[in-house]
Amino acid sequence: MFLLPWLAGFFLLTLGPTLASLVLSFTNFDLIQAPRWVGTANYERIATADAKFWRSMWVTFLYVIMSVPLKLAFALGVAMMLNRGIQGLPLYRALFYLPSLLGASVAIAVLWRKLFAGDGLLNQFLAMFGFEGPSWVSNPDYALYTLVVLSIWQFGSPMIIFLAGLRQIPQDMYEAASLDGASPLRQFVKITLPLLTPVIFFNAIVQTIDAFKAFTPAFIISEGTGGPVDSTLFYTLYLYQEAFGYLRMGYASALAWVLVVIVAVFTAFSFLTSRYWVHYDD
Amino acid sequence: MSGPTLTRRSLLAAGTGAIALAAGGVPAMAQATKKVRMYWWGSKERADRTIKANSLYTAKNPSITIEGETLGWGDYWPRMATQAAGRNLPDVIQMDYRYIFEYARRGALLPLDEFVPKTLAISDFGKAATDCGRVDGKLYGINLGMNSSTVLYMRDVFAQAGVKAPNHQMSWKEFAAASAELTKAAKRDGFYGTQDGGGVEPAFEGWLRTRGKELYNGDDKLGFTAEDAGEWFAMWDEMRKSKACVPADVQALDKLSPDSSMIVLNKAAVCFAHSNQLVAYQVLTKDKLGMSMYPNIGPGSKLGHYLKPSMLWSIAATTKNAEDAAKIVNFYVAEAEGAKAIGVERGVPASAAMRAAISSDLDELGKMMVDYISFVSDKVGALPPPPPKGAGEIAFLLKRINEEVGFNKTKVADSGKAFVTEAQSILARG
Repeated sequence: MFLLPWLAGFFLLTLGPTLASLVLSFTNFDLIQAPRWVGTANYERIATADAKFWRSMWVTFLYVIMSVPLKLAFALGVAMMLNRGIQGLPLYRALFYLPSLLGASVAIAVLWRKLFAGDGLLNQFLAMFGFEGPSWVSNPDYALYTLVVLSIWQFGSPMIIFLAGLRQIPQDMYEAASLDGASPLRQFVKITLPLLTPVIFFNAIVQTIDAFKAFTPAFIISEGTGGPVDSTLFYTLYLYQEAFGYLRMGYASALAWVLVVIVAVFTAFSFLTSRYWVHYDD
Repeated sequence: MSGPTLTRRSLLAAGTGAIALAAGGVPAMAQATKKVRMYWWGSKERADRTIKANSLYTAKNPSITIEGETLGWGDYWPRMATQAAGRNLPDVIQMDYRYIFEYARRGALLPLDEFVPKTLAISDFGKAATDCGRVDGKLYGINLGMNSSTVLYMRDVFAQAGVKAPNHQMSWKEFAAASAELTKAAKRDGFYGTQDGGGVEPAFEGWLRTRGKELYNGDDKLGFTAEDAGEWFAMWDEMRKSKACVPADVQALDKLSPDSSMIVLNKAAVCFAHSNQLVAYQVLTKDKLGMSMYPNIGPGSKLGHYLKPSMLWSIAATTKNAEDAAKIVNFYVAEAEGAKAIGVERGVPASAAMRAAISSDLDELGKMMVDYISFVSDKVGALPPPPPKGAGEIAFLLKRINEEVGFNKTKVADSGKAFVTEAQSILARG
């Protein structure tokens, strides 16, 4: 009874459109004329004749593979620093979380363009050491990396979760290890990492799914083009172009379902391998 | 990019009502008002002028309220398609020559022939300026302003450097040489003669037309060959190498909008644009801009320009106030008060009477634009056939292939073929 508003919302606003997009993925639909049934033609094109699909897949995989591990490592590093019982922890926690709140905004994308432009701050800094840097954001060889850096900078939410995880590790383990003469590095490898694996696993899954869905940074930095030379053409950006740029709603729906399957396979694979490296202390 | 904005009209209406009440005796609810929705893309400058025109109209026609919605070009068309799908199109729609065929043929627009000439007094437009709003013989769009492509350049920079400014008697070769010379002579850091125009569709089209070719043939086929395209990309590759134009990683900052253009970013002295965009560029740069026609391809060659409607007013097929919508359209294109309010920011009025009416009010920029249009009028060719479905995608493809050559991802020798092959597959897909 009290679930009714939520249920209505779920069926009308989530499940309904989801099913509709599944049906639309078997049609040609330009929003203006009625959808026309084309069977599996959209999926066949994706699999066989769409160079941009593979290009955007490649860009997205590169982004996921680079940004997720680096972001997690960075978040863990900061979490461990904050876990040393420093004063004013809530303040630092909030400050470090701030970029995650700002990251997807237009202002930050503009800032990023200024930072990494040919005459930007980064190159002015490099110039002090005699290096002449390229225009990072507008060069196809580097543009994607600026987005990876942007993603790492938003390390707030995994950091908070790591911090909570670190708190769970009993202090007496470290004390015992210190008495036995274990170095800090050894303590980290033998105690912190193994006991933290469930948290790492959780963060990795969440961040991977997030990275697959990343859209805003590339959209704002390239203003929706995925340029230069399609070097920031994320999968979601390509999907958006097909849907709202060229009004191929049917094809875009098919692309969306392919992404769902890929993310599902990725997640299932992670769960299957997790039994070999994730330690639950039960 | 601004979100949808309400006009000040609704506030104004409330204010008028309050004054009427305060004055006493006048029943505030005397008239039921009819609401007309208007939708346009463009800059803040355009929004200001449009809202002013609308309030002038509603001041004279108190039974009408006009509710305006405006977006940037990129967001405009997705939203338009969504509204068309929901049978919820605004009554008065700013339309582009590229899209009018798609919307008219799908039955989304109202044929306007029955309103001419009684409600729409457009008989002095002339045949060419009227017919560009026709689809399959019926009138679906009313010309909002005449336009032509143009070369914008920084006047003083050329004058101070003593380099010949772009003009239509110059060949592209001479243009390239002059640009390279300016790069050396201009005393600005990281500053070049011209933008890299290899990815600019109107520039490519103008160049093709000097060679007697077209972008599209009208039967949904390309009007040029891989050799033509290859020569075009090679010409710009030469200019990149001779430092006549900006390097590829600078040109990539250009997102095809005035605010990210090479002139506004202070990277180059020349940009390729549409004549009505002069205002949008000039408000964003301190350098005084001049206008020129495109260069030619040698002595005696023809010029590639044509006059096109910068935009048109269309009326939705689903409108409930067709007559009022048509009257508002008429106010913009055939009544002096409306024409003066919008000026030449949307292009030069097609009506001779309106051109005369606004001429006394024009500022320097407005005069320059009107002079440019009259200057090109006797040098232009015919309006090309409307672009096929997929043309928008091909315009982005041109930019991408030019970038690929610039960043050494595609060899110049292969560029023409790569462009034509991919463009044909886009056309085949529709």
